[in-house]
Amino acid sequence: MTRMLPADADPQVAPLAGRSASATMRAALVRLVTRQQTGLVLVIALLGLVLALTAGSHVDLETGATVNNFYNLHTLLQTATDASFFAIMAVGATIVIITAGIDLSVGSIYALAGVSTAMVLRALGPMGGAETFFIGLVVALGVGLACGIINGVMVVGLDVHPFVITLGTMWIVRGVAFVTSHAESILLPHALTDVAKAPLGLAEGLYPVPLLVMIVTAAVGSIYLTQTVMGRHVFAFGGNPEASRFSGLRLGRIQIGVYVISGVTAGLAAFLGASFYGSASCADATGYELYVIAAAVVGGASLMGGKGSAVSATLGAILIVLIRQSIRTLHFDQNYEWIIIGCATVIAVVLDQASARFTTRRLAAGAQRR
Amino acid sequence: MTSTVRTSAFALGCSLLVFALAGCGSSTPSKTPATPKGLKVALIAKSSTNPVFLSARTGAEAAAKELTAKTGVPVEIAWLTPPTEDGQVQAQRIAQAVNEGANAILISCSDAGKVTGAINDAVDRGVAVMTFDSDAPESKRFAYYGVDDEKTGEAVMDELAKQMGEKGSVAILAGNQNAPNLRRRVDGVKKAAANYPNIKIVDTFYHIETPQDAAAEVIRVQGAYPQVRGWAMVGGWPLFTQTLLSDLDPNRVKIVAVDGLPAELPYVEKGLAPVLLAQPTYLWGYVSVQRIYDKVIDHKDVPQVIPMDLVRVTKDNLGTWARQLQTWGFTDVPAAYLKLP
Repeated sequence: MTRMLPADADPQVAPLAGRSASATMRAALVRLVTRQQTGLVLVIALLGLVLALTAGSHVDLETGATVNNFYNLHTLLQTATDASFFAIMAVGATIVIITAGIDLSVGSIYALAGVSTAMVLRALGPMGGAETFFIGLVVALGVGLACGIINGVMVVGLDVHPFVITLGTMWIVRGVAFVTSHAESILLPHALTDVAKAPLGLAEGLYPVPLLVMIVTAAVGSIYLTQTVMGRHVFAFGGNPEASRFSGLRLGRIQIGVYVISGVTAGLAAFLGASFYGSASCADATGYELYVIAAAVVGGASLMGGKGSAVSATLGAILIVLIRQSIRTLHFDQNYEWIIIGCATVIAVVLDQASARFTTRRLAAGAQRR
Repeated sequence: MTSTVRTSAFALGCSLLVFALAGCGSSTPSKTPATPKGLKVALIAKSSTNPVFLSARTGAEAAAKELTAKTGVPVEIAWLTPPTEDGQVQAQRIAQAVNEGANAILISCSDAGKVTGAINDAVDRGVAVMTFDSDAPESKRFAYYGVDDEKTGEAVMDELAKQMGEKGSVAILAGNQNAPNLRRRVDGVKKAAANYPNIKIVDTFYHIETPQDAAAEVIRVQGAYPQVRGWAMVGGWPLFTQTLLSDLDPNRVKIVAVDGLPAELPYVEKGLAPVLLAQPTYLWGYVSVQRIYDKVIDHKDVPQVIPMDLVRVTKDNLGTWARQLQTWGFTDVPAAYLKLP
């Protein structure tokens, strides 16, 4: 594995050889403060604080303890669980967006992967827990992989904008899920639910598995994008396809690869979601593609390509789910949910563009001074 | 590790730490054991844009007000219905209701398979769960209140057969194919149709459950199957628009539909839908909250299945039904119908 510098590293704060310890620390601090992830963490923390202060409290039925309506482990884990399905898909979507592409079919792939898993396991009948888990995972990821390959090959082979291709496959894949499942809601074996809802030593009713899968996916996505040659190629393609072509990069292979990753993350999210909720239907994840793209964009991915981060996309998903949670926790009219999420998405993009313009001006001013 | 990975890991770690720290020390044990001083019922219907569920909410809130005044026990309704039908979101709302201290949950299930686990988790954490309209029979819910869907479908077909002289082609309008209660109604329609040898079912038509989508589907089907003389509608979606009043000829086509809300009443008056089988949707909320009170506060036994009777709405009782709807809080009942005998 080749070590690479991140594509979105700020050259102004890049470490320089021979700096003093305090200068290095200051540079690291500046780098940290100017990172978009820091801003997202601060917004999430601030929103969490506001919710904790304003949500009110209730008496727990079992323990008799007074519990804050938001600031309790059940609600926080539930929020993380709700975010995990979007966040896992958002990591794949971000990698697609970095190439200036888009994948509108992730919600449909989620549905097809879920119903395929449920139907295969139902057809195979009762099995051991490990076999059930392994076969279910392979089917879900396999369906995601196949859909990703189809998307990628069509985008490259037909030379049609990915918006159009994935808009088409969004309906096709949803239709296949509909036809094959006969629109039934199909139950999954308890063995899968037992895994997805394993308390892992926590109290009863606390389910940390989706949170952990979300963290692992974000970490793997981040390592892929920043630590591997393949990740570097993704940024290069998105930043300047022509330069990449003249550099000898295999652009078709890169494009197919990003749609495969997007499909696989949708398959993984479907496996997790179907296992957690115990059933799958062709209507699952309807409209989720918009939340996923919003999470990636709020996380700083540029639809123009060349910019994005797996961790930021995960934080974007958490922020969006937290906004939804806050509307309910604070008893606002929930019909405002879409308006607020839409505004948050637009504001995030506008702030990001303003920040980019500011940085460009600062760099230009610095260059003039030198 | 590069700086980006370090920073990224730090950022994610920070946010998770905020969550984790928030979770610790969040509860303050009280000195006395938990004794609910009131009843907080989370109402989770299928969709907050469907008027039948808004009337259920009105009924639930009326029952809560009455019980509070009568018994002195404060009864509160928390409306947690998602804007669009989504079983997964309903499961999340169930968990939210429990986390926010609801004593009971009243739910109409969009997807029984998706919410069964969440219902069982809620019951395991001491929260009573009751279903209405659409059941989750495999779950640990203590009761279900609603119509018998298969019998409802049979009643729709029997009424339509009478209107059509027991002969002709019939189309079934079936809403969302995922909804188990609607599927059972369709089964009931087909079962009853088998009793009429001169009636032919041309097909069952599914659609997005909005008035416009449903009306468009009816018009499309009527164009494709001009021989259709009767519509068995297991829900009244297209009758919330006015378009079928002009697009279908009441002398040629007859409709029998489930539900009888204010917007649908002109179809009865014009004779295009001579019979509506109305679910008293207000009672979904009103009766269910009373049964939840019986179970949670009074510790009474409640039957597992509480059947709801349909109301047959025709020209003969249009005025009575219109006034009933107004009493139940509907503000859009046409004034002309309120004056009818």
